[in-house]
Amino acid sequence: MNSNDKIPFHRAVAAMVWKDLTLERHTRQTLSLMFLYALTVTIMFNFALETKLDAARNVATGLLWATIVLSGTLGLNRAMSLDRENNSLDAILMAPIDRQAIYVAKVLSITLFTLTIEAILVFVFIVFFNKPFWRPSVILILILGTIGYISVGVLVTALTYHTRGRDVLLPVLLLPLSLPLLLPASMAVAGFVSTPPATWTEVQTAVSLVILYDIVMITLGLTTYRYTIEV
Amino acid sequence: MSSTRLNQLIRIFNWSAAIIFLITTLMIFFYAPTERTMGNVQRILYFHVGSAWVASIAFAMGLLGGVLYLRSPSRRWDNFSLASVEIGLVFVTMTIASGSVWGRPAWNTWWIWSSPRLTSIVILWLTYVAYFMLRGALADEERRGRLSAIYVIASFATVVFCYLSIRLLRDIHPVVFGDTLVESAQGASQGESEFANGLDSMRMGITMTMSTISFTLLYIAWVLNRIRLQNMIYATEKLKARLSARLQGGH
Repeated sequence: MNSNDKIPFHRAVAAMVWKDLTLERHTRQTLSLMFLYALTVTIMFNFALETKLDAARNVATGLLWATIVLSGTLGLNRAMSLDRENNSLDAILMAPIDRQAIYVAKVLSITLFTLTIEAILVFVFIVFFNKPFWRPSVILILILGTIGYISVGVLVTALTYHTRGRDVLLPVLLLPLSLPLLLPASMAVAGFVSTPPATWTEVQTAVSLVILYDIVMITLGLTTYRYTIEV
Repeated sequence: MSSTRLNQLIRIFNWSAAIIFLITTLMIFFYAPTERTMGNVQRILYFHVGSAWVASIAFAMGLLGGVLYLRSPSRRWDNFSLASVEIGLVFVTMTIASGSVWGRPAWNTWWIWSSPRLTSIVILWLTYVAYFMLRGALADEERRGRLSAIYVIASFATVVFCYLSIRLLRDIHPVVFGDTLVESAQGASQGESEFANGLDSMRMGITMTMSTISFTLLYIAWVLNRIRLQNMIYATEKLKARLSARLQGGH
């Protein structure tokens, strides 16, 4: 095929993100699953820490990230099983589009889902822990962290796609790999929600580690994603 | 590489690694000075840093093998990558164990979660253990090579994080490796000021350098042995397939 026949990158991405959103609008399955799971996890954490509310407040940031990560994994798993149903991934691969566009579209749509859940979670956490999670700096770190987590998540999901026991393997591969992102991200958020909030210079290192991770993983995803789906 | 040449190389590296390792061990116990505050326990340093050094080399080689495999898929690069990661994992385990043993007298605890270095090395360990999970779950050889190559490239992020964590975040764990080998050796003698004369710190630096060299040789020897082992595994598989084909044909 002539490379000129290919659909332009941005149009391919937009079409695939639109496809995911439409699918979600009709079924509402991914978001409701992720939301219920996130809520259950939050309540379980609260239950575990109930006796010491002060302790719970101190670890609230870690809990927020843990909840995000767990429900993000659920979202990734769901996207993978949707791809497998009716072999829809094979259909997408037949379309004359860049492999990178598939990757970017997947990252975008799952990030959107996860951010939606996070918006609700932030509210829940403000209520439960009485911490200022609404600060713009916190929101910024949440967005940056989610982008990094999902961009490595989509790549790892593609790696586990053809394995035996893929649903179990995904968290085992993904969670350790994302910890270098989550550690500085939760440090930064913890700094921003403290009273008085940390200044940018104080959390500069943590934030730059998050940004560095994002850049590295997105680059890696863009360059290697095509190898994962060439069967 | 032909198997006879590989065997020759293995013999050379096995012997040289064994001899230099023996010399280093003797140096650690009899040549290196006794540190003033920690005493003899400080001699763990040479093993601890040596194994950490080799682990990072091994993972970097694993990464290199992965990149080369993606560029030109060949069993050779997959073997190299697998061997390196496996050995790297052994050395990381050694680093954690020796660090923990050292931490007990030095920090009065086996483990501190508040130290980013300790946390990040556990993350690194977990990430590379998962590499074998991924390999085990993929039956097709070509696919296994390709997907594990991507994973091994991604997991190098944890090595970088481990390296950066200690330099950027506040930590109880000291920084050892500098930009060059000489600088590293000097950095290794962190307690340089603790020594009364320069001769002691020089001795320490020499022992450290020797330890780094012998651990590196050990790594090369092990990688070659591991590659040979992997080649034998593939050869056995091939023979098995031929045998079963012949047996089935005979009936």
